Amino acid sequence: MLDSLLSAQLLFAAAVLGSIYALVGLGLNLVYGTMRLLNIAHGDILMIGAFSAYWWFTLTGLSPLIALPLVAAIGAGLGLALYFGLFRRQLAQGLPPAAIEARSLLLFFGVSVVLQNVVAFFFSSTPRAYRHLDEVVRIGDLAMTGNRIAALVVAVTLLAGMLVFLNRSLFGIEIRALIQHREAARVVGINVDRVQMVAIALGFAAAAIAGALLSMTEQTSPFMGFRFTIAAFVVIILGGLGNIRGGIIAGMLLAVIEIYAVTIFSAEARSILIYGAFVAALLIRPQGLIGFGKRG
Amino acid sequence: MKRRHLLGLAATAAMTLAALPAAAADPVRIGYTMARTGLFAAAAPSQEQAYTLWQEQVNARGGLNVAGEMRPVEFVSYDDESDPAKSAQLYERLITSDNVDLLIAPWGTPHHLNLAGVAETYGFPVVGNTAASVAIREVAPGNIWFPTSAIPDRIGPELAAMLSEAGVGSVSIIANVLPFSQENLGFLTPALEAAGIEIRMSENYPPDIGDMTPLITQIKAAGADAVIALTYPADAFLYAGQARELGVEAKLQFMLIGPTIDAFHKAFGPAADGIVTLAHWSPEQAAWPRAKPFFDAYVARWGQAPDYLDSALAYMSLEILEQAVAKAGLDRDALREAIATGTFDTINGEVRFDGVQNAVTPTAFVQRQGDKMQLVWPAAIATAPLAMR
Repeated sequence: MLDSLLSAQLLFAAAVLGSIYALVGLGLNLVYGTMRLLNIAHGDILMIGAFSAYWWFTLTGLSPLIALPLVAAIGAGLGLALYFGLFRRQLAQGLPPAAIEARSLLLFFGVSVVLQNVVAFFFSSTPRAYRHLDEVVRIGDLAMTGNRIAALVVAVTLLAGMLVFLNRSLFGIEIRALIQHREAARVVGINVDRVQMVAIALGFAAAAIAGALLSMTEQTSPFMGFRFTIAAFVVIILGGLGNIRGGIIAGMLLAVIEIYAVTIFSAEARSILIYGAFVAALLIRPQGLIGFGKRG
Repeated sequence: MKRRHLLGLAATAAMTLAALPAAAADPVRIGYTMARTGLFAAAAPSQEQAYTLWQEQVNARGGLNVAGEMRPVEFVSYDDESDPAKSAQLYERLITSDNVDLLIAPWGTPHHLNLAGVAETYGFPVVGNTAASVAIREVAPGNIWFPTSAIPDRIGPELAAMLSEAGVGSVSIIANVLPFSQENLGFLTPALEAAGIEIRMSENYPPDIGDMTPLITQIKAAGADAVIALTYPADAFLYAGQARELGVEAKLQFMLIGPTIDAFHKAFGPAADGIVTLAHWSPEQAAWPRAKPFFDAYVARWGQAPDYLDSALAYMSLEILEQAVAKAGLDRDALREAIATGTFDTINGEVRFDGVQNAVTPTAFVQRQGDKMQLVWPAAIATAPLAMR
C-alpha cells in the first residue's frame, strides 16, 4: 500500500487531473469573482473547446496544441458575445449580488441547453476522438502518454502565467480589486466594464483550452461538459468563491482526493469523499477551505 | 362571391388529385422517439443513423412493400430527452394524435420497458432493438419483441466459458456502478466461480470517475491472466487509454460497452487490437450475405463504421418489420401474428421469436483484430479464432 501511495505514477495522475480541474475552476472563478455570474454553462464552453480542437485536428491534421490560441479566441469570443448580449446591461444596473447570481443561473442554464443542442444539431451527438501524441514515455517505473504530459505542461504554464498576471500586472491587480470590492474598485477609477470584459474573455478561454487538452485523451461529445461544470463548482467552493489562488489549490486537492482515496479506500468511495469534502466545506468554512476568508 | 371562390378551389383540388400519378401512394408513417438530448444522447445516434439509412434505402428502391403495394416511408419522430416517461407519453401521442402506421423503438432498456406498456395498452406491435436486460423477460409477450441476444444472464456464463476454453485461470474485474454493468457482474461472478476461474480483484467505480490510475495499478499488481472491465462508453475510453499508458499485460482484455463505437477505434488505433467486447454481429460473417452490404452502406452514408451492437440491432429490427409488413400489411392483428410466427432474414442471419426473445441468435463476443471486428465466440458463428497475447 505504502509503495502505491508513494509511486510517481499516482503523483503524475494527480498532477494531470488536478491541473485540468484547476484550469476549469480558474475560468469559473474569474467570471464569478468579478461579476457574480454563476456560469452553469462552464462545462459547455469546455465542450466547445474540445470540438474546436477535434475539428482542427481532423481538418488540418495539425496538432491541436498549435491551435490553442485559436481555441482560446473562440472561447473568449463566446464569452464576450454573452457579456454584451446578456449581462452587460444587467451588471450596469447595480443589482445586488444575490439578484445577479439568481438571474445569471437561469440565463446560463438556457445557454447550456442551447450550446449542447446547437452542437448536437450540426455535428450529431456521436462521440468523436482522435489519436495525437499517444506514444508512451517511460522513465523508470513511471509511464506517461505524450498527450497527458502536454496537457500537464500547458495547464500548469497557463495557471502560473495567470497567477503572475493577476499579481504583477496593473490589469491583473484591477481584476483582483474588482473581485475584492466592486464598488471600491469603481470609486478608485477602475474601468469596471473593461475589467469585466477581460475577465469573462479570460475565463471562457481557460475553459475552452481545458477542453482542447481533454479532447486529446477523452471522447468528445456535445454532452461531455456537465461533469466538468460540477467539478468546477466543487473546486471554487472548496477554494473560496472568487479566490483565484485558493481555487487552483482546491483543484489540486480535488485530484489528490480522487486519486489517493481510490488507492486507500476504493473507487466506490471516490464520490462520497469528494462530495463529502464539498458539503463539509460549505458547513464548516463556507468562505472556502483556503484563503482565510479573503478574496484575491 | 365567397361561395364561388370556394367552389373554384374545390374544383382545382379535385383536378389536381385526379392528375396525380398512381405511383404517388400515401406514405407509410413510422413513429419513434430518440434520446437526442440528455444522458443517453451520445449513445443514441448509432441507432438513429441506422433508421435513416434504412429509410433512404427503402425509398430509393421504390418504397416499402405493404402487402404488395409500394409506399414511401415517412418518419415522425420526437426527442424524448433521455426520459423514459416522456418517451412513453410521446409514443401515446404518436398512436393517438399523429396516427402513425407503424412504431419503431427508442434507445435503451428503460425506454423499451415503458414502451412495452404503451404497446400492450393500444395493441400496437413493435419490434424493439437496443434493450438488454433480464427485465425484458418480465414484459408481457404479444406486442413487443427483442432481437438482442446480449442479455446479462447469458453473457456471464458465455464469457466464463470462452475464458475457460482459452485457458484463462484468473481474472481481475472492474465494473461501473451503472445498471447494465452491475447486472452483468451479478451473473458473471458465479459463472466464473463455477468455471474454476479465480477472481483476484473485483472493484466497482462511479460513472464520473476522472482517472483510473489507482484501479489499473491494482489490476497490474493482481497479475491475473485476463482483465474484465464492465464499462460504459465514457469510462471505456478512460480505461483503454490508461491501461495502455500503464502497460497492462494481461493475456486478454474484455470491455463491456465502448470498443464497438467507431470513435473508440479512432482514439486507439492499433492499441485497441486484441480487445474483446460484446456484440453478436460482424460484417465478416460470410454466412450472413446482408451483413457486409449494410456495413458498406453505413460507412458510405455516415463516414464511420456502424456500432456493432446498436446500429446492427436497429437495422435488424427494421428488416424484421419490413418483412412482416410485406407479408401482413399494416393491420395490427395480422402484423402481430406475422412477427410472432415468422422467420426473418437479417444482417445477423436468421431470426425468429420465442415469446419476446430472439430464439436463434447466440450470445457472442467480437475481438478487434487489425482493422476488423471478428466474431470469436461461439464457434458456431465465429469468423476468426480468439487471439491471446
